[in-house]
Amino acid sequence: MTTATETARRTTRRRFDARKWLPVLGVAGIVLYCLAPFYWMVVTAFRRPADQYDLSPLPRTWSVENFRAVFEPGTGFGRALLNSLIVASTTTVLTLVIGTSTAYALARLAFRGKNLVLSLIIATSMFPGISLIVPLLRLFTDIGWINTYQAMILPSLSFALPLAVWNLTMFFRQMPQELEQAAMVDGCTPGQAFRKIIVPLAAPGMFTTAILTFILAWNEFIIALSMVNEREMQTVTVAISKFTGATQYDQPFGTQMAAGVIVTIPLVIGVLIFQRRIIAGLTSGGLK
Amino acid sequence: MTTELTTEPDAKNPPGAPTTRGARRPRRGSGNGQARAAALYLAPAGILLIAVMAYPLYQLVQLSLYEYGQAQASGGAPLEFLGLGNYTTLLGDGRFWMVLLNTCGFAAVCVLGSLAVGIVLAVLASRVRWLPRTLLFLAALGAWATPAVAGSTVWLFLFDQDFGLVNEVLSGLGWQSMSGFSWTYDRFTAFALVAGEVVWCSFPFVMVTMYAGIKAVPNEIVEAASLDGASAWRTTRSVLLPMLRPLLVIATIQSIIWDFKIFTQIYVMTDGGGIAGQNLVLNVYAYQEAFAGSNYGMGSAIGVVMTVLLLVITVIYLRLQRGTGEST
Repeated sequence: MTTATETARRTTRRRFDARKWLPVLGVAGIVLYCLAPFYWMVVTAFRRPADQYDLSPLPRTWSVENFRAVFEPGTGFGRALLNSLIVASTTTVLTLVIGTSTAYALARLAFRGKNLVLSLIIATSMFPGISLIVPLLRLFTDIGWINTYQAMILPSLSFALPLAVWNLTMFFRQMPQELEQAAMVDGCTPGQAFRKIIVPLAAPGMFTTAILTFILAWNEFIIALSMVNEREMQTVTVAISKFTGATQYDQPFGTQMAAGVIVTIPLVIGVLIFQRRIIAGLTSGGLK
Repeated sequence: MTTELTTEPDAKNPPGAPTTRGARRPRRGSGNGQARAAALYLAPAGILLIAVMAYPLYQLVQLSLYEYGQAQASGGAPLEFLGLGNYTTLLGDGRFWMVLLNTCGFAAVCVLGSLAVGIVLAVLASRVRWLPRTLLFLAALGAWATPAVAGSTVWLFLFDQDFGLVNEVLSGLGWQSMSGFSWTYDRFTAFALVAGEVVWCSFPFVMVTMYAGIKAVPNEIVEAASLDGASAWRTTRSVLLPMLRPLLVIATIQSIIWDFKIFTQIYVMTDGGGIAGQNLVLNVYAYQEAFAGSNYGMGSAIGVVMTVLLLVITVIYLRLQRGTGEST
């Protein structure tokens, strides 16, 4: 009897050990899978161009030569960075304005077909953006919009809008209706009550939506690739994909990695700072 | 109580129904005003979506019925109406079926990969202490925020034939044939490489969703299960997973929709579709037909096929979502 419990206890102890180490190994493996690409990108970016194929875990000689190469006048990368900034911020602001207006109607006003409208808006988020390229290109060619910011902003806006509307609607619905009613008793119109009471209170939700939209717009590739054929107007994602570097002979991995660092790190830092809110924003759709 | 009684018929009766015509209370007036206000507030989004989604979609269908190439685009030749000609050519082309098969297989691997990694990590994150959990989330969110183009170039560098870290490490570990191994030359290793990158940037969504779902399961249920003697694995399989099923369905369909539409990674990593187009998926195929081949009509036809496929998935998605909405 005692030996039986003894062995039972021992097996539980051994299983407990395995249970303790397996997650650690799992976490280590996955963290490696997640972080190795980042790590290698950053480390390679800081090597000297001559050392770009080194395999040492840290640069033997640290250098910012690659970053200088990225911004050399010939590459047009600085301009591309500015273009991306303009396109992504404009898209974000417009998405928030239009999204808030739509979400207000969906969350606060009573009208028929509300669920149909919400379903339709969500359905558009599943739309394959690529199939719109040909017609959009034709449309934008006709009205002379090729190589303009608006040709990149408007399609991005329509791709970002569904998620924004969904997030904001869920967020506004959580706010107690009494807040507006109190404001209306005090003489505000419904619109005023919304603008002056609800919007300021909803700032965290708007903020999350803004970050999600910005990342979506910043990462956009197909539209920017097709609507622009002038180097002056291309965005960073397109610029990186077309990077050939200073010399044509070898692949400019160091420069590419430096460009990747410049494009990625601001987003990653932003995401890490606001991670809680972003997680809340991402899950609002699934959890309701 | 009285407000409930007055607002209830508001929602049920369509405006303009005979009974509502006569005695109109202030409440009803505001209800009609609300419909008008709603139209006003919805207008910007409506105009936008019609201008850059509905109208192009209409044009897409129209274009797909024509022979529309470089000559027609520049006005050098008249538009030639083909009817369903583009579609019969497409469906009769062996290449299209290969691409369709590629797309489905590739999307399936990516979906299964992101779900597996995402779920394992979500379960793991719900069981470990604060520090490892934070590390997991930081790593996942970092991968999620990386632009697809930047991620693709990094992965290409890691798996580079001659200088990539992976080949060097593998051959250093004694796997000699991996020295100078080209990952992008073979069709399957190329797909595997791209899938690795796609899973890398898409599992965080699954993980975050499932983690929130696990956290929403009341603790008592898990405790009751373990009091009844269920092992951790058994608790996960028989208690947690059934409760998370609705969320799992949503995460799955969402992943299917995303991975079906993969463009950037294939375009960048396999240099526009791989050697002789061996790594083409529908999205890239449509793009190449339209732009590299200057065959806009055919490109549009592929776009329509793609849209119909996704529409079917979307309808299933919405139906499932409505189903879960009722059950919760």
